[in-house]
Amino acid sequence: MTETESWANVNLRQVGRPLARTDAPGKAAGKTRYAGDYTMPNMLHAKVLRSPEASALLRRIDVSKARALPGVACVLTAADLPDRKASTDIPGQTGKKKLATDQQVLVKERVRYHGEPLALVAAETQAIAEQAAELIDFELEPLPGVYDPFKAMRPGAPVVTAPDNVVGEHKVRKGDIEKGFAEADEIIENTFRTQFIEHAFLEPEVGLAWIDENDVINIRVATQVIEHFRPIAEAVGVPHNKVRILGALVGGGFGGKEDVTVEIYLALLAQATGRPVRLAYTREDSMFGHGKRHPFVITHRTGFTKDGRITAVKVTITADSGAYVFLSPYVLLYATVAAPGPYRVDNVHVDAVAAATNNMFTSAFRGFGAAQACVAHEAQMDEAAKALGIDRMELRRRNFIRTGDKLVTGHPIESAVWADECMTKAWEALGERTPDAGPVKTGRGVATYQQSYGRITWLHDTSEAWVGVEVDGSVVVRSGVTDIGAGQVSALGQIAAELLGVGLDDVTIYNSDSAVTPLAGTTTATRGLYMTGNAVRLAAEAIRGRFLARAAREFGVEPGEVDLAESKAFVTDRPDKSMAFKALVALCASEGVHRSELVMFRAPFTGQIDPETGQGRVHPDYAYGAQAVEVAVDTETGEVTVLKSVGAHDVGQAINPDAVAGQIEGGAAMGQGYALSEELCYEEGRLTTPSFSEYLIPTAMDVPRYQSIILESRSGLGPFGAKGIGEPALTPVAPAIANAVADAIGVRVFDLPITPEKIVMALRRAEAAE
Amino acid sequence: MFAEFDLVMPGDLDEALDILAEAGGDGDAGILPLAGGTNLVVDLRARRIRADKLVGLGRIAALRGIERSNGRVTIGAGTTLSDILRDPGMVEAAPSLVDSARVFAGQMVRNTATVAGNVCCGSPAADTVPPLLSLDAEVTLAGKGGTRNVPLADFFLGYQEDERRPAELVTKIAWDAPKPKSANLFYKLARRKGDAITVVGVAVTVAVEAGKCTTARIALGAVAPVVKRAREAEALLEGEALTPELIEAAARQAAEDSSPIDDVRASADYRRHSVHALTRRLLSQAWAQVTEGG
Amino acid sequence: MRETETITLEINGRRREIAAPPNQTLLETLREHGYFEVKSGCEKGDCGACAVLVDGEAVDSCLTLTGTLEGRAITTVAGLKRGEELHPLQAAFVKLGSIQCGYCTPGLIMAAQSLLNETPDPGEEDIRLALSGNLCRCTGYTKVFDAVQEAAQVLREEESGL
Repeated sequence: MTETESWANVNLRQVGRPLARTDAPGKAAGKTRYAGDYTMPNMLHAKVLRSPEASALLRRIDVSKARALPGVACVLTAADLPDRKASTDIPGQTGKKKLATDQQVLVKERVRYHGEPLALVAAETQAIAEQAAELIDFELEPLPGVYDPFKAMRPGAPVVTAPDNVVGEHKVRKGDIEKGFAEADEIIENTFRTQFIEHAFLEPEVGLAWIDENDVINIRVATQVIEHFRPIAEAVGVPHNKVRILGALVGGGFGGKEDVTVEIYLALLAQATGRPVRLAYTREDSMFGHGKRHPFVITHRTGFTKDGRITAVKVTITADSGAYVFLSPYVLLYATVAAPGPYRVDNVHVDAVAAATNNMFTSAFRGFGAAQACVAHEAQMDEAAKALGIDRMELRRRNFIRTGDKLVTGHPIESAVWADECMTKAWEALGERTPDAGPVKTGRGVATYQQSYGRITWLHDTSEAWVGVEVDGSVVVRSGVTDIGAGQVSALGQIAAELLGVGLDDVTIYNSDSAVTPLAGTTTATRGLYMTGNAVRLAAEAIRGRFLARAAREFGVEPGEVDLAESKAFVTDRPDKSMAFKALVALCASEGVHRSELVMFRAPFTGQIDPETGQGRVHPDYAYGAQAVEVAVDTETGEVTVLKSVGAHDVGQAINPDAVAGQIEGGAAMGQGYALSEELCYEEGRLTTPSFSEYLIPTAMDVPRYQSIILESRSGLGPFGAKGIGEPALTPVAPAIANAVADAIGVRVFDLPITPEKIVMALRRAEAAE
Repeated sequence: MFAEFDLVMPGDLDEALDILAEAGGDGDAGILPLAGGTNLVVDLRARRIRADKLVGLGRIAALRGIERSNGRVTIGAGTTLSDILRDPGMVEAAPSLVDSARVFAGQMVRNTATVAGNVCCGSPAADTVPPLLSLDAEVTLAGKGGTRNVPLADFFLGYQEDERRPAELVTKIAWDAPKPKSANLFYKLARRKGDAITVVGVAVTVAVEAGKCTTARIALGAVAPVVKRAREAEALLEGEALTPELIEAAARQAAEDSSPIDDVRASADYRRHSVHALTRRLLSQAWAQVTEGG
Repeated sequence: MRETETITLEINGRRREIAAPPNQTLLETLREHGYFEVKSGCEKGDCGACAVLVDGEAVDSCLTLTGTLEGRAITTVAGLKRGEELHPLQAAFVKLGSIQCGYCTPGLIMAAQSLLNETPDPGEEDIRLALSGNLCRCTGYTKVFDAVQEAAQVLREEESGL
């Protein structure tokens, strides 16, 4: 069920309608080719050999038997590779100096995590490649490892990342924290722990590489970021213009295909063999093959006056960055900015640190640190409400940040803050409360959030797009954007169709090819629509302007009096004065009116924040919303059933409300898994849950009928006032469920996931305490 | 990717038994029967099991079908979980088995996996086994030398060990349909509701006559090396009217009868707790059913 | 190499003679022969992305050895299409926004078709049960349930000649 509410009166014809997405029919019919569905003549099949140990020295690796196996084309180890490394820093667009966060492509000496690649094989068949990998003889000498970020920061701990395992630190010093706590009547302090989780996109990492007649290494790959052609080129030692990344529609990303996955291996094997090479990860490879969500330990101390006003927030965050840096410093920054929640707090003190361990490396995951922060600040609000005797929502209302208030970074929030509107609507949508049934207790919870959309402003984010109109009036959009399933491409079509007055069917969109589509930037950070949508909007507006001017001349009116809609140009209040769009385009073509436009959209550019105080601007803008849930908890077995779950979000402007609702519902399911059932378990760094029978995402039997409520403040920086929904959809879900469980059973489980076992143990402890 | 093996698809039972008996049928030849394959194919791929030859049972008509006569229910070894759900008579003939089939993996696996295969896979978490134990089911084994019937309660010898010899096949599973004044229930506790490996499975049967429990069966899954009956707990109940106190005592005894381990799904402590909670709940429901019904 | 046997299969209505080694799964066979709409997600029967119909019943093609299927009829999601028209299930998935990344969609549609072959008027619980072996990470399933129900209605109306 989807409910849309608009506040502004904007006359949109294509934007805002639940049109069938351009990508849907091909997917339904089985026609869509994903990156793994491409093959080439003479293609080799690759396999990655991975370390069975988490911390070890590679004493010896002998690939002679593997190389001798008939059908093996190539076996590569670190000894075969030049001393080049793979950058793990955030893919930038400005050529700014990168973090020194390089990763060895293959293990040279030191194994730092379970699953780290030791060798690459390419062979005539998949079976031979796998057999060859098994024939590689190697010796690992186990080394003492460190598997806990706190221990990693102790003096004398094994060093994973020199010099001291600290890979990221952020601070906020705002106001006077001592004074703030002195003014508090009630201080709530708790420690929360979140777990490693897996993106669990259904399409494992896959790619196909070949080298063309211009010596360009072409890689068709399932990725969120075609701009990785740069670090890939650097890793394999060719100029940037000798690597081309072609995407395909991606079978899910969620941040897990934000970093480089198979690309460098493919490029190296294609270089070594001169033949096309395909590498398809198994599900188990995928569990080892991309960074996970950071486990956080968050201690949150919040001061309140008797009447519920927050006087001070002090937060310490410790994140497990795993064996390599990847995006940890950025994830940590997002958590730092989001730490107090969507509340106005004058006195804030945050200390956040990410430490390297011999666990799996951690990196981007939908919500990007803000999701973990939300787990803590929303539990704090409920605990405070209980302690103060104030209604949970009322307590939040007394503290919500308002437009113009300063964020924790000192930067004012400029767009609408509809946290209250969203929370109120989500709660109302829960309807009648389900009664308890014997030992099965019902509980309700709500959570609100503040989630950025758009990249960090000192990354100087840009997005290019090209829009053109063919002589017959059909429209072409070219944007490098990758479509990871949220309808990124279709939304661009809707924007172009809106501005050029044609139907969505009249638009063809080329995307995700670093050689031929203008670079649009990454599909990450809830930036896709904001950035690429604006670029397409600007390009389409430029063409529209030229067409309107020409039509106005034809009609003998001013351009401002002409509109484009339903494949016609017409005078707004004179329907008799109209011409077919096609005819107008033909006219423009014959006169040499430029029918295409290449534009670059730029986000706000800033310098970095003050490292000592965390003051400055971090993001272009923020989205607000809420999730409300009702759960039933079996107090005897600890099982939790989510009965109702409603997401209400101010998306600014929905381009396609069905696609927005899809994001909200999918986020609700993913957040439910985060709250209740998902956990990657590492024992001394060894992954013990490498399959979907151990790593449990929600199934069709686990979910309620999700409800989505779309609010449109039209106050965002995106096209037509859009904000974003990709990450926001997830962020409040797990804390809302945690709050509902606590409401049902009267005690709180502070560690995610809230398993039946933890509930039983918490109830047992509470009983013993009584 | 698999190690290589041969695959044969015999057309009848004798042919299948002949193939299984090749090389003396001592199991070393790596000749394995293939029923639904939903476990075996995964194990072969992971190289947990090696096989030289698989004997596919899919074409053997004699292994198919569900029969009911004189209160006896017999299912052929080829009966899938979906067949159990599809048969409208099963709700009465084996209520707990139907409950377990509903929560057994996902549809595609239910369409393929057989009840007999689930019994023979040797997993202590096999979902159909507690129900079948609670129904006093009997397994028919066929070999070149003839057939023999083994009570399911005696079938499991230890973790991944059972009565079936390598050259034998389970051909049938049979049980007496529950008596009119009896209840037969199953509950699966897992980390999620759909398609999950069982953390604790409990099946109970309670039959009543003249206000007393005449038969009590409590079968526990995933809390010992094999699925097992909690016989001492059952003994507390038979011949008695089931008061809440008695049910509590039996549930406690069932927890004591279990010997669970810690694994990635749950701790032994929680499993024992859950055996207690679920046994108490199912016995209470069963008693309420049989006494209200009378 | 073990002896490769030639198997006769009917795939999407076409009879095909296919050579398959004994250890080849139906998933591998189908993709080798260009049926790329059959997706590989886990190769363990945990995710349902590879579901196809065998004689009208959904199976995980990753768990099915091709050599066991002599003479059987296989349907993939591409085989549901009616000429140029989408099948009602496909059309409902498109119309109701039940598709996001789409990687699980072929499997979901086949599992749903298998349900509708037996249960033309399913309740939501029937649908949940029928789809519980198909993992979807994008949609939260709600719109998928709606699509299956809508398609069921269209198919019932077609059946009754309305």
